[in-house]
Amino acid sequence: MTETENGSDLVLDGNAAAGLLQEIFVSDITSARIQCGACGSIAAVGSLRLYAAQMGAVLRCVHCDGVVMRAVHTSHDRWLEMTGARSLRFGRL
Amino acid sequence: MTAIDSTASPARRLEWQQAEVREIVTETFRVKSLLLRVASWPGHFPGQHVDIRLTAEDGYQAQRSYSIASPPEDELLALTVERVENGEVSPYLVGELRIGDRFELRGPIGGYFVWTVPTGGPLCLIAGGSGMAPLMAMLRHRDRQKAHIPGSVLYSSRSLEDVIYRNELDAMAQCDSNLRVIYTLTRKQPEEWLGPRRRIDKALLAEVCYPPDKNPKIFVCGPTSLVEEVARMLVELGHEPQTIKTERFGPTGA
Amino acid sequence: MSEPPISRGFRSRRQEQTPKNRLPPGQYVTTDFPVLSAGPTPQITVENWTFTLQLGGAILGTWNWAEFETLPQTTIKTDIHCVTKWSKLDTAWQGVTFDDLLKAVGLSEPPAPYIMAHCDGGYTTNVPPADLVGGQGMIATRYEGLPILPMHGGPARLLVPHLYFWKSAKWVRRLRFMEKDERGFWESLGYHNYGDPWKEQRYDGD
Repeated sequence: MTETENGSDLVLDGNAAAGLLQEIFVSDITSARIQCGACGSIAAVGSLRLYAAQMGAVLRCVHCDGVVMRAVHTSHDRWLEMTGARSLRFGRL
Repeated sequence: MTAIDSTASPARRLEWQQAEVREIVTETFRVKSLLLRVASWPGHFPGQHVDIRLTAEDGYQAQRSYSIASPPEDELLALTVERVENGEVSPYLVGELRIGDRFELRGPIGGYFVWTVPTGGPLCLIAGGSGMAPLMAMLRHRDRQKAHIPGSVLYSSRSLEDVIYRNELDAMAQCDSNLRVIYTLTRKQPEEWLGPRRRIDKALLAEVCYPPDKNPKIFVCGPTSLVEEVARMLVELGHEPQTIKTERFGPTGA
Repeated sequence: MSEPPISRGFRSRRQEQTPKNRLPPGQYVTTDFPVLSAGPTPQITVENWTFTLQLGGAILGTWNWAEFETLPQTTIKTDIHCVTKWSKLDTAWQGVTFDDLLKAVGLSEPPAPYIMAHCDGGYTTNVPPADLVGGQGMIATRYEGLPILPMHGGPARLLVPHLYFWKSAKWVRRLRFMEKDERGFWESLGYHNYGDPWKEQRYDGD
């Protein structure tokens, strides 16, 4: 990604991290509802803000910007860290 | 091509497979749609996307994601690509790629930003620029299924020449009294243009989108700044946040 | 694992000049300056900015912006290498070297073998002070003669160009000396603890 006047447009969302997350979770988790550990708000993983997509995925809460989930696909394995999430809920609403 | 089952897709490992370009459609002067044959395509839901991967002779690889613009009923998979200034991948896809060329692809990906006919409506689709692509998959699916679920589309573009799929959208709206399509042109408008001439605001949303008590299924896709503003305004208009599904596309115009 | 198929006619745009002796393995030269951040750009005003050197519970030194600007300034021209494979050659930076920071707090050498850099927005990265001394590292405040843009880490970022650029932490506010090494933001998620581009140490285990 290159310099752009509107820096906020560089931010994507959990939908763009879906491929990486599916390597880890095997099934798609973008419609799972995740609760932010910092502020308690609940959102679909696909709607979280995504940063640093070129290095992996840093998914942040839309309300408080807290890191909810991080993932990296290295040349050897895949890492996932979710200490910023209180819970992850799958299935139909 | 496949029956549509709106329950969650089965767990399956994403594998890279080969896609072959069968047709190239020029949509606008900077946008083309690539129609692909993917040998072991498992089917998809409207709104899902694919990751593609290009490998240069020296081994250099670039990976990007593109929304699937075709409905699951169509045989070929359509990806709509906008050529980004100084981009690395889009100038190749829009400028160099020829029929018969192949590249790697994996998908379909994503279960959140998805709509199928069984989900029902009314349907409210809001797009900025190339954000129209996944919404087009939804509209084409609705059309192939001959479902007359009420739908309204608000599509923001820089100018009339930048409106992707314009003829097809106009034709759909003309044949279906349950479908309404509104274009708003933000930078340049033809003199005789009677439609909106501004960025999407609350008034436009109130006019085009079904009111909250109709419980519309809302999908917003485009540049991040547009998506977040529109989502915020929809909530201010009384829509429940869970009824608004968003997909941010990064920096492109409109 | 089989070789991926070649995409006919696809070339990296970045491949214009490849002066081989200046590029670490796997890197490609770019003429633009890609922005990569782990979070939103913090809105920092220099009026509120401070920079601190810390050892355990003790503050070794702390400066506000005006004070920091009076420290000895050094300019360098260097190549930078991002783990995402782009490299940018001959970039010009100005700031205060780590050596001058140590001098300013009356130290002739680092008081501990490890450092964690702490930044606005919460980003962290660990760097051994041995890789900052001797002019190898600085707190940079100017890029190409102008104040560093917020999206590129302004008002001040750590600059350690001989390591992958994720170690050159944006929006740095504090260097904390440590007796034992701890892993920072990317290092604790699969990235290499040290990050030497010439040994292609991108990931843990490389």
